[in-house]
Amino acid sequence: MTPPPGSLLTARDLRKAYGPTVALDGAEFSIHPGEVVAVMGPSGSGKSTLLHCLAGIVPPDSGSIMYDGRELSGMSDAERSALRRGEFGFVFQFGQLVPELTCVENVALPLRLSGTPRKKAERAALTWLERLEVDDLGGKRPGEVSGGQGQRVAVARALVTAPRMVFADEPTGALDSLNGERVMELLTDAARSTNAAVVLVTHEARVAAYSDREIVVRDGRSRDMERAV
Amino acid sequence: MSTREWGRDLGLGFRFAFTGGREGWIRVLLTAVGVGLGVALLLLTTAIPNALSVRHARDNDRADHTYGPVRPKAANTLVISDTDTEFHGHDVRGRLVEPEGPEAPVPPGLTAYPATGDMVVSPALRELLGSSEGRLLRARLPYRITGTITEDGLVGSRELAYYAGAKNLAPKIDGSRTARIDMYGLTGTPPQSHADPILILLVLVVFVVLLMPVAVFIATAVRFGGERRDRRLAALRLVGSDSRMTRRIAAGEALAGSLVGLVFGTAFFLLGRQFAGSMEVVGISVFPDYLNPSPTLAALVALAVPAAAVLVTLFALRGVVIEPLGVVRTAKPARRRLWWRLLLPLGGIALLAPMIGQGGSDGQFNQYLVTGGVLLLLVGVTALLPWAVEAVVARLHRGSVAWQLAVRRLQLSSGSAARMVNGIAVAVAGAVALQMLFAGVQGDYTKRTGQDVTRAQMQINLSDGTPFRTAADQFRTTKGVRKAVSLGSASLGEKDWKNGPGDTTLLVSGTCASLRETARLPSCRDGDAFVVTGGEDDAAVTKLARPGRVLHLDADHGAGKGPDVRWTVPAGLKPAHAITSPNGTRSSAVLLTPAAVPDRVDRLLDGTVYVMFDKGVPDVSEYTRNTAAKVDPFADVMVWSTTEESRNFTSIRTGLYVGALCVLALIGASLLVTQLEQLRERRKLLSSLMAFGTRRRTLSLSVFWQTAIPVALGLLLASVVGLTLGAVLLKMVGSPLGVDWRSVLSMTGAGAAVVLVVTALSLPPLLRLMRPEGLRTE
Repeated sequence: MTPPPGSLLTARDLRKAYGPTVALDGAEFSIHPGEVVAVMGPSGSGKSTLLHCLAGIVPPDSGSIMYDGRELSGMSDAERSALRRGEFGFVFQFGQLVPELTCVENVALPLRLSGTPRKKAERAALTWLERLEVDDLGGKRPGEVSGGQGQRVAVARALVTAPRMVFADEPTGALDSLNGERVMELLTDAARSTNAAVVLVTHEARVAAYSDREIVVRDGRSRDMERAV
Repeated sequence: MSTREWGRDLGLGFRFAFTGGREGWIRVLLTAVGVGLGVALLLLTTAIPNALSVRHARDNDRADHTYGPVRPKAANTLVISDTDTEFHGHDVRGRLVEPEGPEAPVPPGLTAYPATGDMVVSPALRELLGSSEGRLLRARLPYRITGTITEDGLVGSRELAYYAGAKNLAPKIDGSRTARIDMYGLTGTPPQSHADPILILLVLVVFVVLLMPVAVFIATAVRFGGERRDRRLAALRLVGSDSRMTRRIAAGEALAGSLVGLVFGTAFFLLGRQFAGSMEVVGISVFPDYLNPSPTLAALVALAVPAAAVLVTLFALRGVVIEPLGVVRTAKPARRRLWWRLLLPLGGIALLAPMIGQGGSDGQFNQYLVTGGVLLLLVGVTALLPWAVEAVVARLHRGSVAWQLAVRRLQLSSGSAARMVNGIAVAVAGAVALQMLFAGVQGDYTKRTGQDVTRAQMQINLSDGTPFRTAADQFRTTKGVRKAVSLGSASLGEKDWKNGPGDTTLLVSGTCASLRETARLPSCRDGDAFVVTGGEDDAAVTKLARPGRVLHLDADHGAGKGPDVRWTVPAGLKPAHAITSPNGTRSSAVLLTPAAVPDRVDRLLDGTVYVMFDKGVPDVSEYTRNTAAKVDPFADVMVWSTTEESRNFTSIRTGLYVGALCVLALIGASLLVTQLEQLRERRKLLSSLMAFGTRRRTLSLSVFWQTAIPVALGLLLASVVGLTLGAVLLKMVGSPLGVDWRSVLSMTGAGAAVVLVVTALSLPPLLRLMRPEGLRTE
């Protein structure tokens, strides 16, 4: 498969089923560096599965995913893990912060997993917490902060390794609209400033409005809306 | 707060337990299985006293006292001979019987006496004799099997026992192994033996030590699935339930689990009881119907377990904030206080202190103070451990990611980590204390036999009239036997034994080679006689062994009712010097070679054969026993050892080992369930950690540290409390303080091993939970 010129991540004819349930049925996808692409669709349409396949978390049953000229399905589990550690960042609906670590330790965690010394990792984490306007929460545990604050910490964690790709699965799903919009602003601004591509799974139009382009997934099939901001 | 409100809330929780769908049922089932295992163990414990008393009663009913005066032959008498033996380490109760009249009483378990050459056997012996494993025993018991001893003639389902018909037993009556009797069973009340206070102390402590972890286990079991339940209860807060009501509802759910657990426990106990009938533990077996729990104790278990379930749940939820939106434990829990936790072990020591030094022969221990004191000390472990874990993990420095994840988790919820290892810590503390006590008093219950196992490994005491000189030859040709020495002996008195023998000395007869086992002989040939000095009573032998002096032979083992057999000390006695004989004695005696012994004396000598064999030959002791049975079916065979432990002491110690194993296995099971539950709770988090590339090794290591840190602290605390309790117990029995480090290490090692096994078993589920499927919500 030849990826579109300049694309960072391209997927072709992805198929994935969980038992009798077909989650992806020939989905296509591509994204360029610095681009924000929203993946939209109703609940159960397969959009989260598409994100998991693109991020190398779940292998598709068939189809191809090329990242930076490398075929993901040809990589071992350890290679895909290393890719996620070093080049991908993740934001989930409920933050999924480690409850026993402080916010700064949570943000520093991906760096530490890549072997960065603790102090250096925590310095970088504090910088990102500052950029996301939650640096005063560094010493607190996730249980002690609000949902919106926690989600900003999660965004900082996703960006701290300076990833080339950020995968965000319903990042504002658990937030009120005000908090949601602020998180989206911070996420997209920060990603654009580092030229990171963002795959944004959402079912909310106002969240999708922060993207450069939309892809709609329905019954496991994707349709590129080619909408320019 | 009214009883009605309590009843309503508990009832509501009870209903929720069964209407919570699949998840609710699984939770009830987990709790019920956990509580059930604990209840079964408690019921078994309450049934043990009854089982032992039934065994005791059965044993009394069949007692056939062969000691005492010889009674005349009558229509209601029989001659019975004790031919107990041992096979592959198992005792075999054997009796040769010869009824002398039609009214001779029949022992319990038999309807009639077997004819001469026939035998009736216990079911277990029948099974053994019919198997290839029992081939050698079959050769020793060459009787035809004609019947089975029924249950009322046996003390246990696996007891090996037989009654064999014999004839011409009367001449063998010796007032010890063979006797004439006219009844079975004990007459009157058996003498009340003064129970040894140290043994009572040991039994009490063993019971507390073994039951305490079971209680901890039950307390853990009623909290299975607790975290998920707490979230479910948040929904109740949303519809107006206050926090107290919510806790009572949670307690109602636990109550439901514990009640189902009682039913499960009864079922496990009944199943286990049937199974118990087919097994033997430390040489003791029971029939299933022996295992009847005492009704009072069973009622206590039935009340205490549900009550404990309610109390434990209320206690556990006191620090949990269940909010209407499901936020549980939002803030760091309050710091644990040390002072009241210290009061428990200190209170325990205070209860035990008044009994220090009470272990003498007349001493008595107050059972309530002992039980209460030990209980408080062990409960102290469970109270101190959460504080210790919290205090230590708060000071732990940062390290690798795995270490940091573990330490941070422990800092956030040190209580649940401490709870996980509480059971192990209590079991180890108790076991360390007991091992110390056992090691301290072992000397009092172990005596040196003096037997020299390098010169002989078996001693065979032949019955009266058995030609001992030729017996040795038969042993020498037995497979595996290297050497056999036979000696005959009798006591010599200065006067007729009817009126008291006056001074006495020993007469020993054997070949020159045999006599050299007891004295250093200058030279020896058949016909020689020696006077041996340098032994235990030189004065008597020097006085009596004078040529020409007439001495009187003990013809009936000191009873003084036999004929007066005289022997004149011959001229030409050679002097010899005593050496320690194989049985550990060093006797001053008169030694006679065979030609120097007159026939009438020779017949009256008690024959003993000392056998040395090659232990490398399989079943060599069984071959030797078979030869002994062939030479003399009434022979008394003894296996030698350098030390001999009191049977009661050994039984209690073995009981502790078996109990400790059961308890550790039980706790291991509870640990595993708790561990798996915690992992399931974190499924989504584990998946997300895995999503951003966390290595499996990192998370596995973090789980290991998360277990290893509290376990290490728990075992350290358990050792400290165990050593303290052990020291107090040793002081109580008046034994010098000493630490048996080997047992401390072995017990803590066993505890650590259980935790390692549990961690290893929880790794595969951990790896499964780390799969990305955990991120899926649909």
